[in-house]
Amino acid sequence: VAVSSLPDLRGTERDQAAILVQLSSRSPAFPKNSEEKLLWSGWFCCVSGDDLSDNVPEDFTCLPLFLANGAESYTSIVGSWFQKTFDCCFRRLALSPLNLSWMAAMWTGCKVDKTASPTELVFSVPCLPHPLDISYAIHPEDAKALWDTVQKTPGEITQEEVDVFMDCLYSHFHRHFKIHLSATKLVKVSTAIASAHCDGIIKFLQSQYLTGVLTLLTELAISQIQ
Amino acid sequence: MDETVAEYIRRTVLKIPREEIKAMLQKWGFLSESQLQSINFRQIKENISQDVVQLCEENSADIKQAAVLDIIYNHIYPNKRVWSVYQMTKTAEETEFFDLTDFKKKFKRRLRSALKHVTINFREYEDHAIWIRIAWGTPYTKPNQYKTSYVVYHSQTPYVFISASVLKSNLPLLCQALVVASNYHDIREMELRSHSLNSLKDIVFKRYSQNFQTYYPRPLQERKVAPENADLRIIQENISEKERIQRVNREVFGDGPQPKLEFAQYRLETMFKSDPKMDVLDKKEPFRCLVKFSSPHLLESLKSLAPAGMADAPLSPLLTCIPQKARNYFKIREKKGVFPESFVSP
Repeated sequence: VAVSSLPDLRGTERDQAAILVQLSSRSPAFPKNSEEKLLWSGWFCCVSGDDLSDNVPEDFTCLPLFLANGAESYTSIVGSWFQKTFDCCFRRLALSPLNLSWMAAMWTGCKVDKTASPTELVFSVPCLPHPLDISYAIHPEDAKALWDTVQKTPGEITQEEVDVFMDCLYSHFHRHFKIHLSATKLVKVSTAIASAHCDGIIKFLQSQYLTGVLTLLTELAISQIQ
Repeated sequence: MDETVAEYIRRTVLKIPREEIKAMLQKWGFLSESQLQSINFRQIKENISQDVVQLCEENSADIKQAAVLDIIYNHIYPNKRVWSVYQMTKTAEETEFFDLTDFKKKFKRRLRSALKHVTINFREYEDHAIWIRIAWGTPYTKPNQYKTSYVVYHSQTPYVFISASVLKSNLPLLCQALVVASNYHDIREMELRSHSLNSLKDIVFKRYSQNFQTYYPRPLQERKVAPENADLRIIQENISEKERIQRVNREVFGDGPQPKLEFAQYRLETMFKSDPKMDVLDKKEPFRCLVKFSSPHLLESLKSLAPAGMADAPLSPLLTCIPQKARNYFKIREKKGVFPESFVSP
């Protein structure tokens, strides 16, 4: 087990440094000489969590966001240790369709190079006699063109703009298939920047936007504490 | 017996569910009844397969017999593979008498003239279905028995069902061999794919109950479900709408069970249209999208959307035309001219 600090992983000055935890295995036969294989890693961080830093006593370190990579069994072992030792609560960050719509709109608007992947929305309709999944992928240039006409103030996004963007996509779909996507559950959003699943599974695809995505996730983590 | 044949038989037996092994070996007919009696089919599968290999060794099994067992397995469990449908066309109108021996000879000859290493096996079934198993090799290596393609050809029809598996590069050669062997002129892929081979057959052979073309309004024949413990004070608010949806759904999907497909894909290249006062995208180029529907039973799932309130009734013809058009992969473009709201799919 290795615990280290990542001082550069933060959004603002007031954010605490991130903490990295890594689990590696050594071959049981030759404990001294063998190479260690990284089995699992996780890191605590807080990116631009100014709201939280304001409300927390001076000496307190608050890192509300935890990202884990590796087998679920290790995640629960590490999680339960931290819960017992620090009297905290580890929970998957559930992403609601509302959260996911924001991500779809925000990330579609980001500028990427020519070889961008499509903006894909995945909907699930589980409560039918036979469950149905719908994947709706829009060419990244066309999706961005749509978002650019919806977003009125650069650098600022409103809920109304996200709603208009999603409604446009829903009505284009309805025009073709007569299905109301708004009645289904948005479970996953995938863009060139990153992808996010409602169970809290995130994939970072563009390092230049890492901080941006972490900021959004930190905000969501904080909002779920309150 | 060849090491590779032994291993292949062992792995094939391991695939079979334990309760079915004896029956399948009987169908195979390579081991005698007394040999089959000597196997304990209640032990674990690893041991059963070892026993089977032992007996095959006694009978000196070769790859041909092993291949037949594989065909039998795939015939009983076709849904483990994905099947694509192809249609052959001929220029001449007359229906020639189908000669099975001639077909097999020409097929083998065509493949072998192009590929030195290939294993070809045939098996005929009662419903005029000819199953062909092909294991592909390269000019330098023997056929890989684990990289097989399957062809199911109903000789009375122009349809061929192909499960190509990994080696897509051999597909053109396979198609060519089929056309030559069956005395057709050409072959085309129908953009119809599914795991359920029987459903694909239902669709192309039109063996499912199709929707009705109503030229005049039919008298309402809704099944008026009289609830047993009805409290007469409770009235369903929108019962007439519910009944309308049921009726329209039945008209559009037909009464019987739907063929079983798992996915449908639409490549949309239509224009984005919006309410002008929304002041959004107004491009002259298509709004490019790729839509994929997936479900364990897609058509039944789509049929249940309108009654569940998630879709309008009738559902879009883009979805309901799947069985009639016998395809589940589409490219949709805007129809130019009088009716800008309608779509064409090439």
